Amino acid sequence: MKTYILRRVAQSALTLLGVSVLVFVILRVLPGDPARMLLPDGAPESAVAELNRQLGLREPLIVQYGLFLRSVARGDFGQSFQYRAPALRVVVERLPATVQLTVAAMLVTIAAGVSLGIGTAVRRGTRYDVAGTILAVLGQSLPNFWLGIMLILLFGVALRWLPTSGFAGWTSLVLPAVTLAAFPTALVARLTRSSMLEILNRDYIRTGRAKGLAERSVVLRHALRNAAIPVLTVIGLQIGALLGGAVITESVFAWPGMGKLIVDAIFFRDFPVVQTVLILSATVFVAINLLVDLLYTVIDPRIRYS
Amino acid sequence: MREQHSRPDHLGRRDFLAVTGTALALASAPALAAGQAKRSGEIAAGLSERMLTLDPANHYSISTTSVLRHLFDPLVDVTNDSKFVPALAETWRPVNNTTWRFTLRKGVTFHDGTPFNADSVVFTLRRVQGNAKLIKSFVYQDIESVEKDGDYGVVVTSKRPFGSLPAHLTMLGMLPASAGKNEEAFFQKPIGTGPFRFASWTHGDQIAMTANPTYWKPGIPKVEKVTFRFIPELSTRTAALRAGELQVIDRVTPDLVETLKGTRGVKVLDVPAIEAQRWIFQLGKEPVKDQRLRQAISLAIDRGVIIKELLRGYGRPVDSPVPPGLIGHMTLPPKVYDPEKARQILKQAGYANVSVDIVLMKDFYPKQLEITQAVAAMLGDVGIKLNIKNLEIASAREQRTAGTYDLFFSGWAHMPHDPDWYFGQWFTKAGSEKLTRYANPRVEQLIAEGRVPDAKVRQAKYEELERIVWDEDAEIWLYYTVAIYGVSDRLRNFEARRDYYVLLSDVSIV
Repeated sequence: MKTYILRRVAQSALTLLGVSVLVFVILRVLPGDPARMLLPDGAPESAVAELNRQLGLREPLIVQYGLFLRSVARGDFGQSFQYRAPALRVVVERLPATVQLTVAAMLVTIAAGVSLGIGTAVRRGTRYDVAGTILAVLGQSLPNFWLGIMLILLFGVALRWLPTSGFAGWTSLVLPAVTLAAFPTALVARLTRSSMLEILNRDYIRTGRAKGLAERSVVLRHALRNAAIPVLTVIGLQIGALLGGAVITESVFAWPGMGKLIVDAIFFRDFPVVQTVLILSATVFVAINLLVDLLYTVIDPRIRYS
Repeated sequence: MREQHSRPDHLGRRDFLAVTGTALALASAPALAAGQAKRSGEIAAGLSERMLTLDPANHYSISTTSVLRHLFDPLVDVTNDSKFVPALAETWRPVNNTTWRFTLRKGVTFHDGTPFNADSVVFTLRRVQGNAKLIKSFVYQDIESVEKDGDYGVVVTSKRPFGSLPAHLTMLGMLPASAGKNEEAFFQKPIGTGPFRFASWTHGDQIAMTANPTYWKPGIPKVEKVTFRFIPELSTRTAALRAGELQVIDRVTPDLVETLKGTRGVKVLDVPAIEAQRWIFQLGKEPVKDQRLRQAISLAIDRGVIIKELLRGYGRPVDSPVPPGLIGHMTLPPKVYDPEKARQILKQAGYANVSVDIVLMKDFYPKQLEITQAVAAMLGDVGIKLNIKNLEIASAREQRTAGTYDLFFSGWAHMPHDPDWYFGQWFTKAGSEKLTRYANPRVEQLIAEGRVPDAKVRQAKYEELERIVWDEDAEIWLYYTVAIYGVSDRLRNFEARRDYYVLLSDVSIV
């Protein structure tokens, strides 16, 4: 068990190093010139060249990477080209909004997705199942962008129940969280449903019912626990997807999160910010997946790792 | 009960309080009355372009200029009809072609109470000229020296004539000399002389400012607090206005005008802007190097239809490369729509089935793709095939630098209400080297001669050079844009500006 953990941790570290190299090289190989994006169109070539030099972009790639690793070891991720402030600070400023949105969307996903999945599995074939499935399909196919704007128009403009956009208080969290959660909720619901259906057909479930256990206990204690593994995997993956992929929701709701930050940074060739966000996201992603792997051993004693 | 004697020469406590209270009330009544007329309420504005910095010298963003105008004052202000008026400088005059002398306003203080004087101006100008990392630095490279002339005078000399210096200074807020001690700390909580004081900001998200009670203009500002939120997504910005969360938004597109007009409590204000949408050519490369082809392309484009149908009337025909109101504006013969003549020219020049590439910066200008597609159809009618390349902004600019394009969808807002920058950038050999590759020695000479401070001379030089580039069809000038704002009915005295600035210091809210 211990060797398993150590091996996984070493793998994670190597993964992160690989991510840093990939990000670093891709950014500098892409067409597009940071100085040209920062200066107005009407700036002379000499100004562009000078700014590129000031930003350290004229050095050979390997030198730039070496300097980058050295400063990262000190906790310095460089200065954002756009904001002229430490990239780490610019990114960290966005953390509260990002975490709130991700956690809220995740809670909605787990609560609504799993219940919908269980509900439709247990009532399989009935109109509740049909309604639930339709809802799930809608959730996966309605564009995020459209759903967000519709919710804004209904709850923000017409009813004025909730703020239309921005990051201010828990009421402004509702619409973005629901919008962001739509797709993962649908995914989790459908997966839970099919996983539950598969488990509910097993012999030990029939045994449980024969023993006289309450249906509720059969479903929630026995079936769900076994059905949980694939669902847990997906939820773990969704957290990573949510963290980086909330850019559309963040754009629609003017939510100051990391998704929008990184997309803007990519368009503006703000290398330090892109690097910081990607490396930090990769770290979180890798850590969470490590956690999920370890959780498997807790949930399912059958899984043993040598 | 003991008898209380009231002594006639001694005021009882109650009497004393009554008299003092009344006296105080009477004394403060005028101040109270004036205070009530002075400031009340809060305004929230939604801008489309993110603000990236609080340093007036480190950006060329229109929205950042709008916002920082509330914290900092420049030496010179510009009105909506492009007249230059005193701000922190009371007068400015050219001593000779390469020297400007500024006389400064007295009695102005920074938000921390320190006085504004020549030290501030000298520091601000030397800083922007000397620090190559600052984005505005390149504009001020011509400055040779900045010297105090007493506490309220500044003399600026330049290497070449710098007639547009006062115009450029409208975009440069004055900093206290003390900012130089620790710039990073200063710009965390900046201090200016402006109508509002810095309260808080989150990078790229929103900034809040509170009224400066000791502002040098009486009666300004008219509200207690101003917040600018940066909301690039247009539908979200308009939703916030319609829901009453914002009182003014900028950069409304023509298709949303009807929706806003139909919303109760909201009105739409529009004004022709000092911006021209234009297609530039790669003049160093066949086939658009050939003036006849450029002329044919120009004749084949029905600009009227573009303005009427695609922009729903929110555009104006271009009568000179320089928009109305600015120095250099003139009325040139309009670019007509004549496809038959275009076909003739192409035939005579031997262009059968010519194909040209146009590069667009994705989503940069409103309706750019639709307009390009419409023009592609118009050009197809006369036998020119237009290949549309809609690229990500950075990649598009790379192609422009590399010269691998024939046409490029561009625009130019004539900041700061002066065409010298436009001409210097796009019509000199050095300026257009990695852009249009334009080179015309006569035009270049006229641009240099037009840099002097004398307005009459500048007008004459610009008129001559504009006739040349107009005849050459050096660019396709499509239309002047119209700036559209969504404004709450609760605002009083909001002015829809031609330069896209959103200025709120003399706006009140009911």
